[in-house]
This record gives sequence, structure tokens and C-alpha cells, in this order.
Amino acid sequence: MTDDGLRFIAMALAIGLGAIGPGAGIGVVFSGALQAMGRNPEAEGMLRTYMFLGFALAEVPFILSLVFGLLIGFGII
Amino acid sequence: MRIRNAVLVALGIGAVMYFVLGLTFPREDLHISVKAEALACVGGAMDTAHPGECASGFPITNSLVTTVIVDLLLILAVVFGIRKAQMVPRGFQNVVELVVGTFYDFAVGVDKKNVAKFFPFAATAFLLILLSNLLGLIPGAGSVGMCQPYAKAAGAGAEATHTASIYADWPLTCAAGELLVPYLRAPSADLNMTLALGLISVVLIQYFGLKALGAEYLVRFFNFKEGPMFTVIGIIELISEFIRIISFAFRLFGNIFAGEVVLVVLASLFPYMLPLPFYAFELFVAAMQAIIFSVLTLVFMSMATQAHGGGSHDDHGQEATAH
Repeated sequence: MTDDGLRFIAMALAIGLGAIGPGAGIGVVFSGALQAMGRNPEAEGMLRTYMFLGFALAEVPFILSLVFGLLIGFGII
Repeated sequence: MRIRNAVLVALGIGAVMYFVLGLTFPREDLHISVKAEALACVGGAMDTAHPGECASGFPITNSLVTTVIVDLLLILAVVFGIRKAQMVPRGFQNVVELVVGTFYDFAVGVDKKNVAKFFPFAATAFLLILLSNLLGLIPGAGSVGMCQPYAKAAGAGAEATHTASIYADWPLTCAAGELLVPYLRAPSADLNMTLALGLISVVLIQYFGLKALGAEYLVRFFNFKEGPMFTVIGIIELISEFIRIISFAFRLFGNIFAGEVVLVVLASLFPYMLPLPFYAFELFVAAMQAIIFSVLTLVFMSMATQAHGGGSHDDHGQEATAH
């Protein structure tokens, strides 16, 4: 196996494994927000704000793994 | 039942056309470029060894061309929309008012107090990103272009070139030794564009925070009075501000670029009918990413202008009086 091959496997693992947690986390964020909106439709505006905030925070690990995956894949680190 | 028959017939025709066209057209490797490629170089010369790169001078990239088109579209829409503004809108003014008004109502839901300050940038970013994403989905945006000479890596042969980039088969071809560089590319599939948007957004967030709270805004980053716990939290907050730039940039870039790659790969696998559902999904993603970028900007700005702790109580008070 060449160095490039190993590097691409490392990139795929970094991005793929990093996507598991945020995927589940974003699902939890939106399901919680939808349940809250269903129970209390009047609070939808405020809930939407916090929903997107939670979405952004839950997605940060994936973005970081994507960045590091790309860095590995292009041989920068 | 009739719809299913129609789909089956279309798939059958597609399969026949695919094999006929696949035999007729010579197939060549398609180069998927992560970065935007240069179409021309101002005051310089093209790099003949690497297509889409300038040896010297200022590169006019395909994403820059698309950005200028998006800008012109937006400016023309606004100019024609409000040139003869009337109290009772007619014609195109209706469309402009509908788009701006819908997003304004959405922004009011995020922060009622400061919406007038935050709305201009958020709405501009929303429209710019939405048009950028949609322009990259126009058929021909990634497949019509100019042929640039392409010298394959000498010595190592085909093996080396395949590890350097992702390839797929494609019926649209250039001559041997040349590579297709598309004229148009979605600006949000260019990391420079999204990084610039993220930087502007985060700098504006700090600006609004400092303007609303003054020096008190900095307490959330450098908090040495309330014990070591809050000092550490402040440092984490400071780091997270820089992570916001990266996350803004890579969220938009990753979604749009990944969508384009998916469409290209599917079109190269089986070009008839198969990419359609994914194309529809990309239309949804294009709108979703524009909304996410602008709403996150609004939310972060709203959070930056709220005082350290106790900010949420004011909101509850406002909500209670509003209803």
C-alpha cells in the first residue's frame, strides 16, 4: 500500500467517523425542537433561535473532522 | 400505475440512449477540482502544466465570473424593483417586496429588538448565497467550458494522476491532453468565497457586540474576577469565536461542493433519470444552507448584544408583553 493510499484511508476514516456523532446530535436537536414546538406553538420564534444555535454547536465536530480530513488528504499535515 | 409505467418507459429509453451515446462518444476522465480554476490571467500567463492555474498575474477564476453574475442579478433586481416605488406595488416590485418582507418577518422572529441593525447583512448574505447555490445548479454550469492543455505527470504514468484527483467518465470531451475548465462554478463551492463570508460575518458579530455592550462585551472572553472557572470558560468562548469562522466557511463549502460532486458522479454512472431526485435534493440544500448561514449570523449577533447572564430574562418579559 502506498503512502497516498494510506492517506486517503485516513481522510475517509476521519470524515466518516467524525460524521457519526454530529449526525445523531443534530437529529436530537431537531427532534427536541419539533416536540417543543408541538407542545407550545407560541414559543416557536424563540425555539427556532435556539434550535439553530444547537444545530451550529452540534455540527462543529463534523466541520473540524472535515477540515482535518481534507488537510490529511491533501498532504498538508 | 400510469406514472410507474411512464417512469419505466423513460428509464428504458434512458438505458438505450446511454449505451448508444456511450458507444458513440469517446469517454474521457472528468477532472473534479476542489478549488476554483482560472479562466484567464490578468497581467500574466497561464500555467501550461497545471490547468486552471496562473503562472503569474491575477487569476480570473470561474467562481469569480459567477460571483459577478450573481452581483449583477441582485443589483438589477433591486434597481428595477424600487426604481418607481409605489405605495401599492405593481409588477416586479411585488416580487422584491415579497422576498425582503418574508425574510424580514423571519428575522423579527429571531431578535425583535435589534432586527433593524442585523437585517441588512443577514438578508444580503441570504440572497447572495441562495443565488450562488442556485446558479451552480443550472445545467451546463459545470459542464460547459474551455479546454486547457494538461500535461500528465511524467514518469509515474496513470497511477500518479489517479491518486492526485477524483476522476469520472464523461461524454463531453476535449482533445487528448486537454482538460475541461468550466466557465461557471457556484461561488459557494469556492472556499475563498465562503471564508470571506464567514470572516465578514464574525467580524460584524464582534462589532455589534462591542457597539451594544462596550467594554463589557470583552468580559465574556477575559473574565478574571469570578474565579478560575470563568477564566477557562472565557478562553473557550474566545476559541469558539475563531471556530465560528471555520465552521461558517466549511459548512457552506462542504455542502455545496459535496452536492456538485454527487451530481457529477451520478451523472457519470447513469446520466438519465438517476440524478433527478438528487438534483431536487440539491435545490433543497441550496435554500437550506442560505437560510442556515443567515439565521446563524442573526442568532450569533443577537447573542453578542445580550449582556453577560440575565439576557434571557429580558426576552421573556418582551415575549409576555407582546402576546
